[in-house]
Amino acid sequence: MNAFRKYIVLGKVSLQNAMAYRSTFLISLLAGFVLVMSQFYIWKAIYSKHNEIGGYSWDEMKAYLLIMFITNSLLSWYSEMAISQKILDGSVAMDLLKPLDFQKARLAETMGASIFESILGAALASIIIIIFEGIASPPDLLTWLLFLVSLLASALIKFGIIYIAGLFCFWTSNPYGVAWVRAAITNLLSGAIVPLTLFPRWLESVTAYLPFRGVVFVPASIFLNRINGQAAVQEIAIQLLWALFLWLAGRMIWSRAVRQITIYGG
Amino acid sequence: MIAKWVKMLLLYVRFMKANLIALLEYRLDMMIMIFSSALIHLLGLVFLWVIYQRVPDINGWGLWEVLVVYAMVYVTEGISSFLFEGSWMMNTLVNKGLLDNFLIRPVSPILQILSSRIGVNGIGNILIGTAILIQAVSHISMHWTIPKIIMAVVLLVSAIIIRSSIKLASNSSVFWTQNPGSSFPFMIHSIGEFAKYPVSIYNTVIQGIVTVVVPFAFVSFYPAAYLFDKEVFRYWGLLTPVVAIYCAIGAVTIFNYGLKRYESAGN
Repeated sequence: MNAFRKYIVLGKVSLQNAMAYRSTFLISLLAGFVLVMSQFYIWKAIYSKHNEIGGYSWDEMKAYLLIMFITNSLLSWYSEMAISQKILDGSVAMDLLKPLDFQKARLAETMGASIFESILGAALASIIIIIFEGIASPPDLLTWLLFLVSLLASALIKFGIIYIAGLFCFWTSNPYGVAWVRAAITNLLSGAIVPLTLFPRWLESVTAYLPFRGVVFVPASIFLNRINGQAAVQEIAIQLLWALFLWLAGRMIWSRAVRQITIYGG
Repeated sequence: MIAKWVKMLLLYVRFMKANLIALLEYRLDMMIMIFSSALIHLLGLVFLWVIYQRVPDINGWGLWEVLVVYAMVYVTEGISSFLFEGSWMMNTLVNKGLLDNFLIRPVSPILQILSSRIGVNGIGNILIGTAILIQAVSHISMHWTIPKIIMAVVLLVSAIIIRSSIKLASNSSVFWTQNPGSSFPFMIHSIGEFAKYPVSIYNTVIQGIVTVVVPFAFVSFYPAAYLFDKEVFRYWGLLTPVVAIYCAIGAVTIFNYGLKRYESAGN
Protein backbone atom coordinates (compact mmCIF):
# COMPACT_ATOMS: atom_id res chain seq x y z
CA MET A 1 0.00 0.00 0.00
CA ASN A 2 2.84 2.29 0.91
CA ALA A 3 4.43 1.65 -2.46
CA PHE A 4 1.22 2.67 -4.17
CA ARG A 5 0.96 5.93 -2.21
CA LYS A 6 4.24 7.22 -3.59
CA TYR A 7 2.73 7.16 -7.04
CA ILE A 8 -0.49 8.82 -5.90
CA VAL A 9 1.61 11.69 -4.55
CA LEU A 10 3.45 11.94 -7.86
CA GLY A 11 0.13 12.09 -9.67
CA LYS A 12 -1.07 14.88 -7.39
CA VAL A 13 2.08 16.94 -7.91
CA SER A 14 1.72 16.48 -11.65
CA LEU A 15 -1.90 17.62 -11.47
CA GLN A 16 -0.83 20.80 -9.65
CA ASN A 17 1.90 21.33 -12.22
CA ALA A 18 -0.60 20.96 -15.01
CA MET A 19 -2.81 23.60 -13.45
CA ALA A 20 0.15 25.96 -13.08
CA TYR A 21 1.08 25.55 -16.72
CA ARG A 22 -2.47 25.62 -17.97
CA SER A 23 -1.67 27.76 -21.01
CA THR A 24 0.24 24.83 -22.52
CA PHE A 25 -2.90 22.73 -22.26
CA LEU A 26 -5.05 25.49 -23.63
CA ILE A 27 -2.91 25.68 -26.76
CA SER A 28 -3.14 22.01 -27.56
CA LEU A 29 -6.84 21.89 -26.69
CA LEU A 30 -7.58 24.93 -28.80
CA ALA A 31 -5.63 23.48 -31.71
CA GLY A 32 -7.72 20.30 -31.35
CA PHE A 33 -10.86 22.41 -31.16
CA VAL A 34 -10.07 24.29 -34.37
CA LEU A 35 -9.29 20.98 -36.07
CA VAL A 36 -12.55 19.37 -35.04
CA MET A 37 -14.53 22.47 -36.02
CA SER A 38 -12.99 22.62 -39.49
CA GLN A 39 -13.72 18.93 -39.98
CA PHE A 40 -17.26 19.48 -38.72
CA TYR A 41 -17.94 22.09 -41.40
CA ILE A 42 -16.37 19.95 -44.13
CA TRP A 43 -18.65 17.06 -43.20
CA LYS A 44 -21.62 19.40 -42.87
CA ALA A 45 -21.10 20.58 -46.45
CA ILE A 46 -20.87 16.94 -47.57
CA TYR A 47 -23.91 15.74 -45.65
CA SER A 48 -26.02 18.57 -47.06
CA LYS A 49 -26.01 16.52 -50.27
CA HIS A 50 -25.70 12.96 -48.93
CA ASN A 51 -27.72 11.09 -46.34
CA GLU A 52 -24.92 8.80 -45.35
CA ILE A 53 -21.21 8.37 -46.03
CA GLY A 54 -19.76 4.90 -45.60
CA GLY A 55 -22.71 3.88 -43.45
CA TYR A 56 -22.43 6.87 -41.12
CA SER A 57 -25.41 9.16 -40.75
CA TRP A 58 -24.80 12.86 -40.06
CA ASP A 59 -25.67 12.49 -36.36
CA GLU A 60 -23.30 9.54 -36.07
CA MET A 61 -20.48 11.40 -37.80
CA LYS A 62 -20.93 14.30 -35.38
CA ALA A 63 -20.70 11.88 -32.47
CA TYR A 64 -17.59 10.37 -34.02
CA LEU A 65 -15.98 13.80 -34.27
CA LEU A 66 -16.80 14.46 -30.63
CA ILE A 67 -15.21 11.21 -29.43
CA MET A 68 -12.25 11.96 -31.66
CA PHE A 69 -11.82 15.32 -29.95
CA ILE A 70 -12.09 13.78 -26.47
CA THR A 71 -9.62 10.95 -27.09
CA ASN A 72 -7.19 13.39 -28.70
CA SER A 73 -7.41 15.81 -25.78
CA LEU A 74 -6.43 13.15 -23.29
CA LEU A 75 -2.68 12.73 -22.76
CA SER A 76 -1.71 15.67 -24.88
CA TRP A 77 1.50 17.40 -25.79
CA TYR A 78 2.33 18.22 -22.16
CA SER A 79 2.67 14.62 -20.99
CA GLU A 80 4.56 13.70 -24.09
CA MET A 81 7.09 16.50 -23.67
CA ALA A 82 7.42 15.81 -19.95
CA ILE A 83 8.83 12.35 -20.68
CA SER A 84 11.24 13.41 -23.43
CA GLN A 85 12.36 16.48 -21.49
CA LYS A 86 13.37 14.32 -18.54
CA ILE A 87 15.66 12.35 -20.79
CA LEU A 88 17.04 15.33 -22.71
CA ASP A 89 17.82 17.64 -19.80
CA GLY A 90 19.40 14.79 -17.87
CA SER A 91 17.03 14.88 -14.92
CA VAL A 92 16.49 11.21 -15.65
CA ALA A 93 19.70 10.74 -13.66
CA MET A 94 17.87 11.88 -10.53
CA ASP A 95 15.02 9.51 -11.30
CA LEU A 96 17.46 6.63 -11.45
CA LEU A 97 18.48 7.40 -7.88
CA LYS A 98 14.95 7.41 -6.55
CA PRO A 99 13.35 4.22 -5.23
CA LEU A 100 10.67 4.50 -7.89
CA ASP A 101 9.97 2.59 -11.04
CA PHE A 102 10.54 5.05 -13.91
CA GLN A 103 7.66 3.78 -16.02
CA LYS A 104 5.15 3.63 -13.19
CA ALA A 105 6.18 7.10 -12.05
CA ARG A 106 5.61 8.49 -15.55
CA LEU A 107 2.23 6.76 -15.73
CA ALA A 108 1.25 8.29 -12.39
CA GLU A 109 2.30 11.75 -13.60
CA THR A 110 0.57 11.37 -16.93
CA MET A 111 -2.66 10.24 -15.30
CA GLY A 112 -2.46 13.07 -12.77
CA ALA A 113 -2.14 15.65 -15.51
CA SER A 114 -4.87 14.00 -17.53
CA ILE A 115 -7.40 14.69 -14.76
CA PHE A 116 -6.93 18.38 -15.48
CA GLU A 117 -7.02 17.71 -19.21
CA SER A 118 -10.29 15.82 -18.84
CA ILE A 119 -11.92 18.74 -17.06
CA LEU A 120 -10.82 21.26 -19.70
CA GLY A 121 -11.63 18.79 -22.46
CA ALA A 122 -15.11 18.17 -21.05
CA ALA A 123 -15.78 21.91 -20.96
CA LEU A 124 -14.80 22.27 -24.61
CA ALA A 125 -16.68 19.07 -25.48
CA SER A 126 -19.90 20.56 -24.12
CA ILE A 127 -19.37 23.66 -26.27
CA ILE A 128 -18.89 21.32 -29.24
CA ILE A 129 -22.10 19.45 -28.41
CA ILE A 130 -24.01 22.74 -28.39
CA ILE A 131 -22.53 23.84 -31.73
CA PHE A 132 -23.11 20.43 -33.34
CA GLU A 133 -26.85 20.53 -32.53
CA GLY A 134 -27.79 16.93 -31.99
CA ILE A 135 -25.43 13.98 -31.95
CA ALA A 136 -26.03 10.26 -31.74
CA SER A 137 -25.59 8.95 -28.18
CA PRO A 138 -25.42 5.48 -26.61
CA PRO A 139 -28.83 3.81 -26.32
CA ASP A 140 -28.47 2.46 -22.79
CA LEU A 141 -26.47 2.59 -19.58
CA LEU A 142 -24.49 -0.55 -20.39
CA THR A 143 -23.19 1.01 -23.61
CA TRP A 144 -22.15 4.11 -21.69
CA LEU A 145 -20.33 1.90 -19.21
CA LEU A 146 -18.55 -0.08 -21.92
CA PHE A 147 -17.63 3.19 -23.61
CA LEU A 148 -16.06 4.59 -20.44
CA VAL A 149 -14.02 1.42 -19.87
CA SER A 150 -12.92 1.53 -23.48
CA LEU A 151 -11.97 5.21 -23.08
CA LEU A 152 -9.80 4.35 -20.10
CA ALA A 153 -8.16 1.54 -22.06
CA SER A 154 -7.58 4.03 -24.87
CA ALA A 155 -5.69 6.30 -22.45
CA LEU A 156 -3.54 3.34 -21.35
CA ILE A 157 -2.68 2.44 -24.93
CA LYS A 158 -1.86 6.05 -25.69
CA PHE A 159 0.40 6.18 -22.65
CA GLY A 160 2.20 3.08 -23.90
CA ILE A 161 2.76 4.73 -27.27
CA ILE A 162 3.98 8.10 -26.01
CA TYR A 163 6.20 6.43 -23.41
CA ILE A 164 7.98 4.36 -26.04
CA ALA A 165 8.22 7.37 -28.35
CA GLY A 166 9.65 9.40 -25.48
CA LEU A 167 12.33 6.80 -24.88
CA PHE A 168 13.59 7.38 -28.40
CA CYS A 169 15.03 10.61 -27.04
CA PHE A 170 17.83 8.47 -25.65
CA TRP A 171 18.96 8.06 -29.25
CA THR A 172 17.99 11.41 -30.79
CA SER A 173 18.00 14.86 -29.27
CA ASN A 174 15.00 16.13 -31.16
CA PRO A 175 11.85 15.72 -29.06
CA TYR A 176 9.63 17.63 -31.52
CA GLY A 177 10.60 15.44 -34.42
CA VAL A 178 9.85 12.32 -32.38
CA ALA A 179 6.54 13.70 -31.17
CA TRP A 180 5.47 14.77 -34.66
CA VAL A 181 6.26 11.40 -36.20
CA ARG A 182 4.48 9.72 -33.30
CA ALA A 183 1.42 11.95 -33.72
CA ALA A 184 1.34 11.44 -37.48
CA ILE A 185 1.42 7.64 -37.21
CA THR A 186 -1.07 7.47 -34.34
CA ASN A 187 -3.53 9.87 -35.95
CA LEU A 188 -3.41 8.10 -39.29
CA LEU A 189 -3.93 4.59 -37.94
CA SER A 190 -6.17 5.26 -34.93
CA GLY A 191 -9.12 6.68 -36.82
CA ALA A 192 -8.38 10.25 -35.73
CA ILE A 193 -8.71 11.52 -39.28
CA VAL A 194 -11.77 9.63 -40.49
CA PRO A 195 -13.51 6.47 -39.25
CA LEU A 196 -11.24 3.60 -40.24
CA THR A 197 -14.04 1.94 -42.19
CA LEU A 198 -13.83 4.79 -44.72
CA PHE A 199 -10.25 3.86 -45.54
CA PRO A 200 -9.57 1.68 -48.57
CA ARG A 201 -9.95 -1.98 -47.62
CA TRP A 202 -6.18 -2.76 -47.57
CA LEU A 203 -5.36 0.11 -45.23
CA GLU A 204 -8.27 -0.72 -42.97
CA SER A 205 -7.11 -4.31 -42.64
CA VAL A 206 -3.58 -3.16 -41.77
CA THR A 207 -4.96 -1.20 -38.82
CA ALA A 208 -6.64 -4.32 -37.44
CA TYR A 209 -3.25 -5.74 -36.51
CA LEU A 210 -1.98 -2.62 -34.78
CA PRO A 211 -2.66 -1.09 -31.36
CA PHE A 212 -3.64 2.34 -32.70
CA ARG A 213 -7.29 1.61 -33.52
CA GLY A 214 -7.86 1.14 -29.80
CA VAL A 215 -7.12 4.83 -29.26
CA VAL A 216 -9.99 6.41 -31.19
CA PHE A 217 -11.86 4.00 -33.41
CA VAL A 218 -12.82 1.36 -30.82
CA PRO A 219 -14.18 3.75 -28.14
CA ALA A 220 -16.00 5.74 -30.83
CA SER A 221 -17.56 2.61 -32.33
CA ILE A 222 -18.71 1.45 -28.90
CA PHE A 223 -20.18 4.89 -28.25
CA LEU A 224 -22.08 4.65 -31.52
CA ASN A 225 -23.27 1.15 -30.64
CA ARG A 226 -21.67 -0.15 -33.85
CA ILE A 227 -19.68 -2.56 -31.74
CA ASN A 228 -21.90 -3.91 -28.99
CA GLY A 229 -22.53 -6.80 -26.61
CA GLN A 230 -19.97 -9.56 -26.68
CA ALA A 231 -18.04 -7.96 -29.54
CA ALA A 232 -17.57 -4.83 -27.44
CA VAL A 233 -16.24 -6.82 -24.50
CA GLN A 234 -13.90 -8.60 -26.86
CA GLU A 235 -12.63 -5.32 -28.34
CA ILE A 236 -12.00 -3.93 -24.87
CA ALA A 237 -10.07 -7.08 -23.97
CA ILE A 238 -7.94 -6.59 -27.08
CA GLN A 239 -7.38 -2.95 -26.09
CA LEU A 240 -6.20 -4.02 -22.66
CA LEU A 241 -3.93 -6.67 -24.14
CA TRP A 242 -2.35 -4.03 -26.37
CA ALA A 243 -1.91 -1.74 -23.38
CA LEU A 244 -0.16 -4.57 -21.53
CA PHE A 245 1.98 -5.42 -24.54
CA LEU A 246 3.07 -1.78 -24.96
CA TRP A 247 3.79 -1.58 -21.25
CA LEU A 248 6.11 -4.59 -21.43
CA ALA A 249 7.70 -3.35 -24.65
CA GLY A 250 8.33 -0.03 -22.93
CA ARG A 251 10.02 -1.83 -20.04
CA MET A 252 12.26 -3.72 -22.43
CA ILE A 253 13.28 -0.62 -24.37
CA TRP A 254 13.91 1.24 -21.12
CA SER A 255 16.25 -1.43 -19.77
CA ARG A 256 18.16 -1.34 -23.06
CA ALA A 257 18.24 2.46 -23.24
CA VAL A 258 19.32 3.02 -19.68
CA ARG A 259 22.40 0.87 -20.18
CA GLN A 260 23.83 3.15 -22.81
CA ILE A 261 23.00 6.42 -21.12
CA THR A 262 25.66 9.08 -20.64
CA ILE A 263 24.82 12.18 -18.67
CA TYR A 264 27.10 15.15 -18.60
CA GLY A 265 27.03 16.68 -15.15
CA GLY A 266 23.73 17.44 -13.54
CA MET B 1 16.64 55.42 -49.13
CA ILE B 2 17.21 52.57 -51.59
CA ALA B 3 20.77 52.16 -50.39
CA LYS B 4 19.44 51.75 -46.87
CA TRP B 5 17.06 48.99 -47.92
CA VAL B 6 19.76 47.17 -49.85
CA LYS B 7 22.02 47.36 -46.83
CA MET B 8 19.26 45.91 -44.66
CA LEU B 9 18.66 43.09 -47.09
CA LEU B 10 22.34 42.23 -47.20
CA LEU B 11 22.50 42.20 -43.43
CA TYR B 12 19.47 39.96 -43.28
CA VAL B 13 21.04 37.48 -45.71
CA ARG B 14 24.22 37.52 -43.66
CA PHE B 15 22.41 36.80 -40.40
CA MET B 16 20.44 33.99 -41.99
CA LYS B 17 23.60 32.48 -43.43
CA ALA B 18 25.08 32.38 -39.95
CA ASN B 19 21.92 30.65 -38.67
CA LEU B 20 22.10 28.09 -41.43
CA ILE B 21 25.75 27.29 -40.75
CA ALA B 22 24.97 26.85 -37.06
CA LEU B 23 22.18 24.50 -37.96
CA LEU B 24 24.25 22.40 -40.33
CA GLU B 25 26.28 21.34 -37.33
CA TYR B 26 23.31 19.20 -36.31
CA ARG B 27 22.56 17.52 -39.57
CA LEU B 28 20.59 14.51 -38.31
CA ASP B 29 18.44 16.79 -36.18
CA MET B 30 17.74 18.90 -39.21
CA MET B 31 16.68 15.93 -41.32
CA ILE B 32 14.36 14.67 -38.58
CA MET B 33 12.80 18.12 -38.31
CA ILE B 34 12.19 18.41 -42.07
CA PHE B 35 10.87 14.88 -42.39
CA SER B 36 8.60 14.91 -39.36
CA SER B 37 6.98 18.27 -40.02
CA ALA B 38 6.26 17.20 -43.58
CA LEU B 39 4.80 13.92 -42.35
CA ILE B 40 2.36 15.49 -39.93
CA HIS B 41 0.99 17.79 -42.62
CA LEU B 42 0.48 14.85 -44.97
CA LEU B 43 -2.36 13.69 -42.71
CA GLY B 44 -4.60 16.45 -44.01
CA LEU B 45 -4.00 15.13 -47.49
CA VAL B 46 -5.11 11.65 -46.44
CA PHE B 47 -8.26 13.19 -44.98
CA LEU B 48 -9.12 14.94 -48.25
CA TRP B 49 -8.19 11.93 -50.34
CA VAL B 50 -10.45 9.59 -48.34
CA ILE B 51 -13.34 12.02 -48.56
CA TYR B 52 -13.01 12.59 -52.30
CA GLN B 53 -13.09 8.83 -52.84
CA ARG B 54 -16.74 9.10 -51.84
CA VAL B 55 -17.92 12.51 -52.98
CA PRO B 56 -17.16 14.37 -56.21
CA ASP B 57 -17.10 17.84 -54.72
CA ILE B 58 -17.50 19.85 -51.52
CA ASN B 59 -19.51 23.03 -51.97
CA GLY B 60 -18.61 23.02 -55.64
CA TRP B 61 -14.88 22.56 -55.01
CA GLY B 62 -13.20 19.54 -56.59
CA LEU B 63 -10.30 17.61 -55.07
CA TRP B 64 -7.52 19.39 -56.92
CA GLU B 65 -9.00 22.80 -56.26
CA VAL B 66 -9.19 22.13 -52.53
CA LEU B 67 -5.65 20.81 -52.70
CA VAL B 68 -4.51 24.16 -54.09
CA VAL B 69 -6.09 25.89 -51.08
CA TYR B 70 -4.42 23.36 -48.81
CA ALA B 71 -1.05 23.65 -50.54
CA MET B 72 -1.12 27.44 -50.34
CA VAL B 73 -1.29 27.10 -46.55
CA TYR B 74 1.70 24.76 -46.72
CA VAL B 75 3.91 26.76 -49.04
CA THR B 76 3.30 30.11 -47.37
CA GLU B 77 3.75 28.60 -43.93
CA GLY B 78 6.95 26.94 -45.09
CA ILE B 79 8.47 30.05 -46.66
CA SER B 80 7.34 32.22 -43.79
CA SER B 81 8.82 29.93 -41.16
CA PHE B 82 12.01 29.44 -43.14
CA LEU B 83 12.61 33.17 -43.53
CA PHE B 84 10.89 34.75 -40.53
CA GLU B 85 10.90 32.10 -37.80
CA GLY B 86 12.59 34.70 -35.58
CA SER B 87 9.18 36.13 -34.62
CA TRP B 88 8.69 33.16 -32.33
CA MET B 89 11.84 34.21 -30.46
CA MET B 90 10.25 37.43 -29.23
CA ASN B 91 8.87 35.81 -26.11
CA THR B 92 12.33 34.71 -25.01
CA LEU B 93 14.02 37.89 -26.16
CA VAL B 94 11.69 40.15 -24.21
CA ASN B 95 11.36 38.05 -21.09
CA LYS B 96 15.07 37.45 -20.74
CA GLY B 97 15.94 41.04 -21.56
CA LEU B 98 17.94 39.93 -24.60
CA LEU B 99 16.20 42.50 -26.73
CA ASP B 100 18.57 45.06 -25.17
CA ASN B 101 21.34 43.74 -27.39
CA PHE B 102 19.26 44.42 -30.48
CA LEU B 103 18.26 47.90 -29.39
CA ILE B 104 21.79 49.21 -29.00
CA ARG B 105 22.81 48.17 -32.50
CA PRO B 106 22.28 50.67 -35.32
CA VAL B 107 20.01 48.28 -37.24
CA SER B 108 16.22 47.96 -37.20
CA PRO B 109 15.17 45.70 -34.29
CA ILE B 110 12.52 44.05 -36.46
CA LEU B 111 15.19 42.98 -38.93
CA GLN B 112 17.29 41.51 -36.15
CA ILE B 113 14.35 39.67 -34.61
CA LEU B 114 13.22 38.18 -37.91
CA SER B 115 16.72 36.95 -38.68
CA SER B 116 17.43 35.61 -35.20
CA ARG B 117 16.42 32.13 -36.21
CA ILE B 118 15.88 29.96 -39.25
CA GLY B 119 12.91 27.62 -39.46
CA VAL B 120 14.34 24.54 -41.03
CA ASN B 121 11.08 22.61 -40.66
CA GLY B 122 9.75 25.02 -43.29
CA ILE B 123 11.77 23.20 -45.96
CA GLY B 124 9.60 20.09 -45.68
CA ASN B 125 6.47 22.19 -46.07
CA ILE B 126 7.85 24.05 -49.06
CA LEU B 127 8.82 20.82 -50.83
CA ILE B 128 5.52 19.04 -50.27
CA GLY B 129 3.41 22.14 -50.84
CA THR B 130 5.13 22.89 -54.12
CA ALA B 131 4.77 19.28 -55.26
CA ILE B 132 1.02 19.42 -54.55
CA LEU B 133 0.66 22.78 -56.30
CA ILE B 134 2.40 21.52 -59.42
CA GLN B 135 0.31 18.34 -59.47
CA ALA B 136 -2.90 20.28 -58.87
CA VAL B 137 -2.26 22.87 -61.55
CA SER B 138 -1.55 20.13 -64.08
CA HIS B 139 -4.82 18.38 -63.19
CA ILE B 140 -7.03 21.45 -63.38
CA SER B 141 -7.84 22.59 -66.87
CA MET B 142 -7.19 26.30 -66.69
CA HIS B 143 -6.54 28.95 -69.23
CA TRP B 144 -3.27 30.52 -68.16
CA THR B 145 -2.76 34.00 -69.57
CA ILE B 146 0.25 36.20 -68.85
CA PRO B 147 -1.75 38.58 -66.60
CA LYS B 148 -3.07 35.60 -64.68
CA ILE B 149 0.43 34.21 -64.14
CA ILE B 150 1.66 37.60 -62.94
CA MET B 151 -1.36 37.82 -60.64
CA ALA B 152 -0.63 34.33 -59.29
CA VAL B 153 2.88 35.44 -58.31
CA VAL B 154 1.53 38.63 -56.72
CA LEU B 155 -1.01 36.57 -54.76
CA LEU B 156 1.67 34.18 -53.52
CA VAL B 157 3.94 36.99 -52.36
CA SER B 158 0.99 38.75 -50.70
CA ALA B 159 0.00 35.54 -48.94
CA ILE B 160 3.50 35.17 -47.51
CA ILE B 161 3.46 38.79 -46.33
CA ILE B 162 0.04 38.35 -44.68
CA ARG B 163 1.09 35.22 -42.83
CA SER B 164 4.40 36.67 -41.68
CA SER B 165 2.71 39.90 -40.55
CA ILE B 166 0.16 37.98 -38.48
CA LYS B 167 3.05 36.10 -36.90
CA LEU B 168 4.96 39.27 -36.03
CA ALA B 169 1.85 41.07 -34.77
CA SER B 170 0.63 38.20 -32.59
CA ASN B 171 4.09 37.68 -31.12
CA SER B 172 4.30 41.39 -30.34
CA SER B 173 1.63 40.67 -27.72
CA VAL B 174 4.55 39.77 -25.47
CA PHE B 175 5.13 43.49 -24.86
CA TRP B 176 1.73 43.67 -23.18
CA THR B 177 1.36 40.28 -21.51
CA GLN B 178 4.92 40.05 -20.18
CA ASN B 179 4.21 36.45 -19.39
CA PRO B 180 6.90 33.93 -20.30
CA GLY B 181 4.31 31.25 -20.99
CA SER B 182 2.00 33.36 -23.09
CA SER B 183 0.02 31.21 -25.50
CA PHE B 184 -1.68 34.03 -27.39
CA PRO B 185 0.46 33.80 -30.56
CA PHE B 186 -0.02 30.03 -30.70
CA MET B 187 -3.76 30.44 -30.43
CA ILE B 188 -3.76 32.93 -33.30
CA HIS B 189 -1.56 30.53 -35.24
CA SER B 190 -3.94 27.62 -34.78
CA ILE B 191 -6.85 29.66 -36.16
CA GLY B 192 -4.94 29.40 -39.45
CA GLU B 193 -6.08 25.76 -39.62
CA PHE B 194 -9.45 27.01 -40.82
CA ALA B 195 -7.84 28.38 -43.96
CA LYS B 196 -6.89 24.88 -45.14
CA TYR B 197 -10.36 24.33 -46.58
CA PRO B 198 -12.67 26.51 -48.67
CA VAL B 199 -13.90 29.18 -46.28
CA SER B 200 -17.34 29.04 -47.86
CA ILE B 201 -18.14 25.90 -45.83
CA TYR B 202 -18.01 27.76 -42.50
CA ASN B 203 -20.65 29.77 -40.72
CA THR B 204 -20.53 33.57 -40.75
CA VAL B 205 -18.68 33.85 -37.45
CA ILE B 206 -15.71 31.76 -38.57
CA GLN B 207 -15.77 33.37 -42.02
CA GLY B 208 -15.66 36.77 -40.35
CA ILE B 209 -12.79 35.78 -38.11
CA VAL B 210 -10.57 34.45 -40.89
CA THR B 211 -11.48 37.26 -43.28
CA VAL B 212 -11.42 40.34 -41.06
CA VAL B 213 -9.99 39.64 -37.59
CA VAL B 214 -7.02 37.46 -38.57
CA PRO B 215 -7.14 37.40 -42.37
CA PHE B 216 -5.81 33.87 -42.88
CA ALA B 217 -8.38 33.31 -45.62
CA PHE B 218 -6.38 35.68 -47.83
CA VAL B 219 -3.43 33.33 -47.54
CA SER B 220 -5.16 30.46 -49.28
CA PHE B 221 -8.87 30.58 -50.03
CA TYR B 222 -9.44 33.97 -51.65
CA PRO B 223 -6.39 33.74 -53.93
CA ALA B 224 -7.50 30.26 -55.04
CA ALA B 225 -11.06 31.49 -55.55
CA TYR B 226 -9.70 34.23 -57.79
CA LEU B 227 -7.62 31.83 -59.85
CA PHE B 228 -10.49 29.37 -60.32
CA ASP B 229 -13.17 32.05 -60.85
CA LYS B 230 -15.26 30.82 -57.94
CA GLU B 231 -18.53 32.63 -57.25
CA VAL B 232 -18.31 36.02 -55.57
CA PHE B 233 -15.18 35.03 -53.69
CA ARG B 234 -13.02 35.68 -56.72
CA TYR B 235 -13.49 39.42 -56.30
CA TRP B 236 -12.27 39.09 -52.74
CA GLY B 237 -9.13 37.49 -54.12
CA LEU B 238 -8.27 40.78 -55.85
CA LEU B 239 -8.11 42.41 -52.44
CA THR B 240 -5.24 40.13 -51.35
CA PRO B 241 -2.38 42.56 -52.15
CA VAL B 242 -4.24 45.35 -50.34
CA VAL B 243 -4.75 43.13 -47.31
CA ALA B 244 -1.04 42.28 -47.44
CA ILE B 245 -0.02 45.95 -47.33
CA TYR B 246 -2.53 46.61 -44.57
CA CYS B 247 -1.23 43.64 -42.52
CA ALA B 248 2.40 44.59 -42.96
CA ILE B 249 1.82 48.20 -41.90
CA GLY B 250 -0.39 47.01 -39.04
CA ALA B 251 2.19 44.52 -37.78
CA VAL B 252 5.03 47.06 -37.84
CA THR B 253 2.84 49.63 -36.09
CA ILE B 254 1.85 47.16 -33.38
CA PHE B 255 5.47 46.15 -32.94
CA ASN B 256 6.72 49.74 -32.65
CA TYR B 257 3.89 50.65 -30.30
CA GLY B 258 4.74 47.66 -28.13
CA LEU B 259 8.45 48.40 -28.24
CA LYS B 260 7.78 51.75 -26.55
CA ARG B 261 6.38 49.81 -23.60
CA TYR B 262 9.42 47.57 -23.41
CA GLU B 263 11.19 47.71 -20.10
CA SER B 264 14.29 45.61 -19.92
CA ALA B 265 14.24 42.64 -17.60
CA GLY B 266 17.93 43.32 -17.08
CA ASN B 267 20.56 40.95 -18.26
